[in-house]
Amino acid sequence: MERLGKRTLRAAAAGVAATLVIAGCSGQALEGGTEDKASGDQVTLKVAFWGDMGLDKLKAAYEKDHPNVKIVLNSGEYNAQHEDLQKKLVAGSGAPDISAVDEGFIVQFRGQADKFVNYLDKGGAEFESKYLPWKWKQSLSSDGKQIGLGTDVGGLAMCYRNDLFKKAGLPTDREAVSKLWSNWDQFIEVGKQYTAKTGKKFVDSGTNMFNPVLAQQPVGFYDEQEQLKMDGGPKVAFDLSMKAIQADISADLASFQPNWDQGFKKDQFAVLACPAWMLGHIQDTAPEQKGKWDIASIPGGGGNWGGSWWTVPSQGKNVDAAVDFVKWLVQPEQQIEVFKTVGNLPSQPALYKDPAVLDYKKEFMSNAPTGQIFAATAENLQPQYLGKKNGPTRVAVENVITRVQQGGLKPEAAWAEAVKEAEKVAKS
Amino acid sequence: MSLTQLRPAAHHRAEPPKTPSKAKQWLYRFDIKTVPYALIAPFFILFGVFGLFPIIFNGVVALRNWRLDDPTLTGWAGFGNFTKLLSDEDFWNALGNTFGIFILSTVPQLIAALIIANLLNRKLRATTWWRIGVLLPYLTPVVASTLVFAVFFSRDYGLANWFLSLVGFGQDDPLDWRAAKWSSWIAIATMVNWKWIGYNALLYLSAMQTIPKDVYEAAAVDGAGPWRQLWRITVPMIQPVVVFTVILSTIGGLQLFNEPMMFDENPQSASGGSDHQFQTIAQLIYKVGWKDLNLGYAAAMSWALFLIILIVAGVNALLTKRIGGDR
Repeated sequence: MERLGKRTLRAAAAGVAATLVIAGCSGQALEGGTEDKASGDQVTLKVAFWGDMGLDKLKAAYEKDHPNVKIVLNSGEYNAQHEDLQKKLVAGSGAPDISAVDEGFIVQFRGQADKFVNYLDKGGAEFESKYLPWKWKQSLSSDGKQIGLGTDVGGLAMCYRNDLFKKAGLPTDREAVSKLWSNWDQFIEVGKQYTAKTGKKFVDSGTNMFNPVLAQQPVGFYDEQEQLKMDGGPKVAFDLSMKAIQADISADLASFQPNWDQGFKKDQFAVLACPAWMLGHIQDTAPEQKGKWDIASIPGGGGNWGGSWWTVPSQGKNVDAAVDFVKWLVQPEQQIEVFKTVGNLPSQPALYKDPAVLDYKKEFMSNAPTGQIFAATAENLQPQYLGKKNGPTRVAVENVITRVQQGGLKPEAAWAEAVKEAEKVAKS
Repeated sequence: MSLTQLRPAAHHRAEPPKTPSKAKQWLYRFDIKTVPYALIAPFFILFGVFGLFPIIFNGVVALRNWRLDDPTLTGWAGFGNFTKLLSDEDFWNALGNTFGIFILSTVPQLIAALIIANLLNRKLRATTWWRIGVLLPYLTPVVASTLVFAVFFSRDYGLANWFLSLVGFGQDDPLDWRAAKWSSWIAIATMVNWKWIGYNALLYLSAMQTIPKDVYEAAAVDGAGPWRQLWRITVPMIQPVVVFTVILSTIGGLQLFNEPMMFDENPQSASGGSDHQFQTIAQLIYKVGWKDLNLGYAAAMSWALFLIILIVAGVNALLTKRIGGDR
C-alpha cells in the first residue's frame, strides 16, 4: 500500500513538473524583458544594439539622475540584433524597450511603423529641425510616423595606406591624394598605376566600388514611387565597378568576411571606401597598422554609408520611460560624448561646428581630422530614397558583381544579368 | 437455490479487513489507468507545443499572404503560394543543390561508415581509443567546425588549395571553391561527411557485434573473403540499423542549413553563393522569410520541404530494404 502511494505521488510530481515547464515558457514570453510597473515604480529599460555605441558612461550618468530607472545594455552581433527585433515584433512580445536600428534595416522597420512608438505623438517634433533633413526622413514612414531618433551617420571618405602609396611612388599627403581623384575614372587610373608598379591589387572588391558610387547618385535602386530604376544610378555604379574589375585592380574579397580581414594584414588592397564607423573596424582588425592609414576625400562628392536610429517598440511596458531616455541620449552633450568615446559622427549638423568635433584628430589614422572630413561628406550629401526592397536588391546585384569576379560571368553580359536579378527581387 | 447459497452473505460484504478502502481502490485504479498516460504526457505536450503546433500553424500561414514589409497585403492566398513555387526557378535550383549535396554526402558517408565499423569490429590494439576517436567530429559544434572548413576551403591561403598545389594544380590560378557548383558541393559534402561518418560507424558497429561469430566462421570455411562477408553477411544482418541511418541521413541531408550558410562568402545574404550555387532549400526558406520578409511564401516552401522529405525518406527506406537482401 505504501509503495502504491509513493508511485502515485511520483507520477503526480512528474505531471506537475511537465505542466510547470510549459507554464514557465509562456510566462516568460508574456512578461517580455521589462519589470512590472507596479513594483515601486522601479523601471528597467533594456537597450539592444551592436558593437560599441559609447553608452557605458552615459548609462551610469542617467541612472544617477534617475534613481528609479535601471538600464540594461545588450550589445550583440549586427545582423542578429536586427533579426531578433523583427522576430519579437512578429511574436508581439519580448522585444527590447529600446533598439538601435541601422540604415540597412530602417526601411524594413519603417514599413511596420505601427509596431513602434511614433515619436511625433510623444513630443518628438521639436527634433526635426535639429537633424540632417535626410536623416530625419529616412526613419519616417510613408504615412508620416517617426519611428526613430537618429544617433549617428556614416559619412563617406576614402581611407588609404600611406606606406603602400609611398612604395608605389604615389603622393602620401591627404590633400595631394584627394587631388589625384576628383572623379571615379581618375580613381581607376590611379589604381592601374598602383597595380602596374607594385603587382598588387588596389581596391578590396568590385562591390565596394559599386556601393559608394550608388550612394552618390540622386536616385538609387528605387524612385519614390517604388519603381525599380536600374538605368539611372545603378547603371553608372555598375559600369564603374565593371571597369575596375576589367582594369584588374580589385582583390575580389567579400567585405566583413575572414578573407577580407586577412586582406588587411597581407596588404592585399591599398584603399577602402570608409564611413566614420569603419575606422573602428580597421583599428580592431589591423592594430599593428597604426599610422599607416590616412583619409582622403572620396571621388564624386558626398555620400553616406550606414548610421543608426534609436527606436522604441510599442509592445514595451515602459515606453514613456524609454522615450525619455532616448530624448536624453540625442541631446548635444551626450552625442558629443559618444563621438569622443567611439568616434560615431552625430547626425545633428549644429554639432559639426562644435570644437569637440571640429578639432578632433584620429591618432590611428595618422592624426587625420576625422570629425571635419566626415561631417563635410554627410552635409554635402544628395539625399537618396531607399525603396522597400533596397536591401535584397542590393544583395542580388552584388552577387552578379561577385560572379564576374569569380570568372563565371563575362563583364559584357553582366549588366543584363544584373537587371534580370534585380527585377526578380522587385517582383517577388 | 444453489446459486444464492454460493453468494456471500450480506454482512460479509461490509467486513472492513478483506477489501481495501474506497480511497485506496481509487488510487489503485488511478495508478493503473491514468498514471501511464501522465508519465508519457510530457513528451506529447512538448511535441504538441514545439512540433505539431508549428507544423499546423505553418500550414495555415502557407495559405495566407503575410509580408512583413507590406502589412497592407494580408488575407487568404489559397494555393497561390504553392503555385508560385512551381514556377520559381530559385526553388528548383535549391532543390537540385540540396539533392546534389545530399547524394555527395550520404552515399560516401554511409559506405565509409560501414567500412570503418567493419575495421573497428576486428581485434585492434586500443579498441576504445579508436572507437571514441571516430566519434570526436560528431562532438564538435557544427558552427566551430564549419568555420574551420570555410577557412580550409578559402581561395587565398586555404589549406585545401595548398594540398592541390602540392600535386601540381592551381599554383597560378587557385581554385575558388565557392565559384562553381561542383567544387562548392564537394566542399560542403566534405564537412557533412567528416561530421557524421564516425557517428554512423558506431551505430553499425554496435549492430555488428550482435552477429554471432560462427556465421562468419562458416562463411570462411566456404571460402568467402572479407569483402564478400561484409556484403553478404554483415549488411543483411544489420539491415534495420542501415535503414535507420538512411532515414536519419535523408532527413538531415535535406534540411542542410548550417554548412552552406557559413560556407558562404557573405553569410548574411543567405544566397548560397553568388549564383546560388549551393543554396539549399532550408537556406532559401530562411532567405525568403527573414531577408525578403515574405513569411507566407516561406511557410509554403517549408511545407513543400516537409512533403519532399516524407517521400524521399520512404523511398530510401524501401530501396535500402531491397539492397539489404530481401529479394
